[in-house]
Amino acid sequence: MAQLVVENLKMYYHTRNGQVRAVDDISFTLEAGRALGVVGESGCGKSSLGLTLLRLLPSNGRVVGGSVRLGSDELMAMEEEAFRKGVRWKRLAMVFQGAMNALNPVLTVGSQIAEAILAHEKATKEEAVERAKKLLEMVGINPARYSHYPHEFSGGMKQRAVIAMALACNPEVVIADEPTTALDVMVQAQVLKAISDLRQRLGLSMILVSHDLSVVAQTCDDVAVMYAGKIVEYGPVEEVLVNPKHPYTQGLTQAFPDIRAERAPIVSIPGTPPNLLSPPSGCRFHPRCPLADARCAAEEPVLEEKGAPGHRVACHYVSKSGEVAEVKFA
Amino acid sequence: MSHSLSSTPRETPAAGPAPIARKNNGRRPGTLREVWQEYRRSPRGMLGLGIFLVFLFLGLAAPWLTPYDPLQDQFLADGMARPAWMSYFPAYRMDPVTVDRFLLEEWDIRTADNMVVEWGERDGQRVMEVRTTGPGPARLVLEHAFEYRSNPPDTFILQVPYAFTGEGGATGQAVIRFETADGRAYDLWTSRSLRNQVRWTTQRVDSRDMQLKMRLGFRPLANLAAELINTQGEYRVVLELTANAGEGGEALFTLGESRFRIPGKLHGVLGADHLGADLWAQFLYGTRTSLLIGFVVAVIAVVVGTVVGIVSGYLGRWVDEVLMRVVDVLISIPFLPILIVFVAVLGKSLWNLIILIALFSWMSVARLVRSQTLTLRERTFVEAARAAGATPGYIMRAHILPNVLGLVFASLVLLVPGAIVSEATLSFLGFGDPRVPTWGRMLQNAKSFGAFGELAWWWILPPGLALTILAMAFVFIGNTLDDILNRRNQER
Amino acid sequence: MTGAYFWRRVGYALLTLFVIMTLNFVIFRVMPGDPVSLILSPDFTPEVRQLLRERYGLDKPLWTQYLLYLKSMITFDFGRSFTTRQPVLGELLARLPNTLMLLGTSFVINVVVGVVLGIAMATRQGSRLETGVTGVSLFLNAMPSFFIGLLLLLTFGYFWPIFPIRGTMSVPPPTGFWPTVIDRIYHLVLPVTAVSLSGYGSWYLYTRNNVVGALGQDYVLTARAKGLTKREVLYRHAFRSVLPPIVTLIFLSLPGLITGAVITESIFSLYGIGRYLIDATLQQDYPVVQASFFVIALAVLICNLLADLVYGLVDPRIRLR
Repeated sequence: MAQLVVENLKMYYHTRNGQVRAVDDISFTLEAGRALGVVGESGCGKSSLGLTLLRLLPSNGRVVGGSVRLGSDELMAMEEEAFRKGVRWKRLAMVFQGAMNALNPVLTVGSQIAEAILAHEKATKEEAVERAKKLLEMVGINPARYSHYPHEFSGGMKQRAVIAMALACNPEVVIADEPTTALDVMVQAQVLKAISDLRQRLGLSMILVSHDLSVVAQTCDDVAVMYAGKIVEYGPVEEVLVNPKHPYTQGLTQAFPDIRAERAPIVSIPGTPPNLLSPPSGCRFHPRCPLADARCAAEEPVLEEKGAPGHRVACHYVSKSGEVAEVKFA
Repeated sequence: MSHSLSSTPRETPAAGPAPIARKNNGRRPGTLREVWQEYRRSPRGMLGLGIFLVFLFLGLAAPWLTPYDPLQDQFLADGMARPAWMSYFPAYRMDPVTVDRFLLEEWDIRTADNMVVEWGERDGQRVMEVRTTGPGPARLVLEHAFEYRSNPPDTFILQVPYAFTGEGGATGQAVIRFETADGRAYDLWTSRSLRNQVRWTTQRVDSRDMQLKMRLGFRPLANLAAELINTQGEYRVVLELTANAGEGGEALFTLGESRFRIPGKLHGVLGADHLGADLWAQFLYGTRTSLLIGFVVAVIAVVVGTVVGIVSGYLGRWVDEVLMRVVDVLISIPFLPILIVFVAVLGKSLWNLIILIALFSWMSVARLVRSQTLTLRERTFVEAARAAGATPGYIMRAHILPNVLGLVFASLVLLVPGAIVSEATLSFLGFGDPRVPTWGRMLQNAKSFGAFGELAWWWILPPGLALTILAMAFVFIGNTLDDILNRRNQER
Repeated sequence: MTGAYFWRRVGYALLTLFVIMTLNFVIFRVMPGDPVSLILSPDFTPEVRQLLRERYGLDKPLWTQYLLYLKSMITFDFGRSFTTRQPVLGELLARLPNTLMLLGTSFVINVVVGVVLGIAMATRQGSRLETGVTGVSLFLNAMPSFFIGLLLLLTFGYFWPIFPIRGTMSVPPPTGFWPTVIDRIYHLVLPVTAVSLSGYGSWYLYTRNNVVGALGQDYVLTARAKGLTKREVLYRHAFRSVLPPIVTLIFLSLPGLITGAVITESIFSLYGIGRYLIDATLQQDYPVVQASFFVIALAVLICNLLADLVYGLVDPRIRLR
């Protein structure tokens, strides 16, 4: 069953210098109980996507088109108050980038979890406290630390507390935005494991936003590769990572060291992500793409299924049958 | 460990650290131009700079913008005269403007009977010598006519300096008479009969003189000036000199520069204060004082703050502890009352004021510089210099100081408004230097001498608003510089 | 908070107080020439002078004088005023209620108006209203506080004479409790407004800037994502996190209020401590000046100490273990 359906979503920031097309015509479907990874370089609009879904845009960010359906509700058309009360956190929760700063330093960790419960459910204070303690226990934190302040927690504990907070109202979908970025590798692994376990236990759907393909590979069922506000490749994780078709995805997978390969040189994609104020014409990747020709600069490729079922790519160089042009980055 | 190094010879460090310092200096002009490029893009900063330049011009050009001395030139107009331009308002159109005539050259001779007028000199001043030309009675009538076209004035003042010599039993008498436009005549003063030698004296006639009023038949509280000058027309000041040379004698009157004044109720750009001194002059010279105080205080405070900050931050340990405790205490003391006490004990001179205000202004700079020094101390070039055997004094001077200057420059500008307002407040409360014209003193006089009762807003508003606007201008400039320099600092 | 932290703070405060008291002694007795001419009126005959010297202990060596001085300061025995011949402590206490009334009222107004306005405007950053309020606050903040007082006096005391221009009560004073209270309030309106207009600005700007800063923090975004109402986000999260420095500032700014009293009381001719200090200084009434100096220093130190302690209570990060 499709839990979250995003169709042709467009969100632009209006700045003094013009529109920044941070989310530009994005569509995807998140099935119940599955996890979708959204990968891309920083500044490609992946974090904006999360904020758009929760309608937490800064004052200059505006949704200019498209729809987001959660179950049977159209989120983008809802009244703000109804959305705040009924959807935000209750059905759609978020684990923020840099959990270090996601907790208010002058409030106890427990109370910050409890207040989420109190905001949405008719629970008494005591019930909320009880549940918050259970949640802490669930992510492996001693419930006795309910009344401790964030500065008394370690980095990994804070991150787990933030996850507990996201689960406070039993949401249908959790959006995790770079949940492990600031953590060191060991702690990262623990946190990722905690996320996976919880997801299985609670049957959560999840969108995991990351710049790190390995994190997505470890935790997600599907992956969407974003470039300059658009999805350029979409499909099941194994399929996309093993048979990357879009030159950009190929670049990403080459940039990501393969532990199975003995000594694959780590390569990076030359050039920088485009300025979203005036994105390149045609295929937005063409200025950095080794295959690009006149057609790529003129005509925008459509994201369509090519080759394997469910594997969609937006590239002129991928034939209908899914034949891939091999790309080598210097 | 840095203490043990201080015994090493001074020459040794020069080799290592010098190139670094020079490199820093070499980049400075370019940096300055960059700062200006960025500065001019800030509307707030440019507004502040514009305001500052206007005031700087007013202060510097004060002697050319007003002919008057702010404090010495008094009685230029009636006390609390309105600004001259207020005559454009119907209510004040007919207000008296100052009539101020120097009469020596302006006397017209109406009658000369057995008397002759010659010119002489006394103490380097031109004087008129009036001499009898033969025996018997003699009479000379001098007059000065002037047009009066305003409402009745409050005051007039006449001064006639004269001397008399009667030889061979000659006698004389002088009379000052006033002839009104409607044909009345009043003897304002009649001298006694003059004999022999009458030394040089200045006879003053003041319309506020009660005895004079009663002698002329008015009530003691009457406005004599208004009674006499009650309509528009031609008025005459008359000086009648009579003498009797007797048989073979000779009478000689010597007249100096006589002056006739009707102080106006309209005067100058900003009117006059309670003593008839020019407020525009006070305002202009006040601008000068404010800017002087602002900058001198800021410079002293910045120098002290920088030295304390660098020493405290670089040497650390107990030096730091002690200096920072001093800073903590000074920063939390309400400094105005303490300043008042100090000024009272030490005396109200401008330089006392400046030094005392500076003494209570350097702490924020010291904190800022100290924290910057703490980070600089750990930088490689400082460690390199230390390893090369540089003394702490040398390192602080050659490495730390150049690197905190940018930071300090913004706080220099930001210290100015506080200093200006502090001085104004002290002056307003009566603790200013009485010999120096300042905005605070203008406001103190306004408060003490009735400007409020008269609603003399032209006296009260200009200094106060100037203080506010100038203070704001410095805040704008300082904040803009702070934004630019501190960002630059973080980028580095 | 541990005892060690507390006692170290107290120790510092006592040390500082001692240094200030010594300074106070040095300034008045040693610095400007002969202490006798400073403390005793020059009109006295030599015999009287000698008598007074002995009474004030000025015939004793400096060291003994210093000890006597310390003792008298600690016991709040400030001697008698030169001009009124009354004990200084009594004079100060008689004026204290008026000053407290003026400063207390306006301080509460300052903090409440400044903080509330600051929070309100922080959420409307960039709007026309916010730009206007901030502009006016900057202007009033730059305006010398005595000039604000003068403007009020000119406008509401002389141009529209709706408020009294001087004093703390009518002459003769009204009879009865409520008429007295109303008369007092009537006389306080202009002075309190003057102190508030010149003082609220810094509270406003401080609060606004800090709340704006807090609103940009990740934890505020989290709070919004949690579906908290705007009010909850603003007060429970953004404002709560800037509360500790504000509370500290409240204590730290208490001694500075005396400045407002000095200025305002002299503009509106109020019978209070501020004007007492000015008058005494202008009349070279040194026992009064010395006592004021001491009391102000004491107030500063106590408030600093309180600020330190309270900050520890309000900010969990400072709570030392």
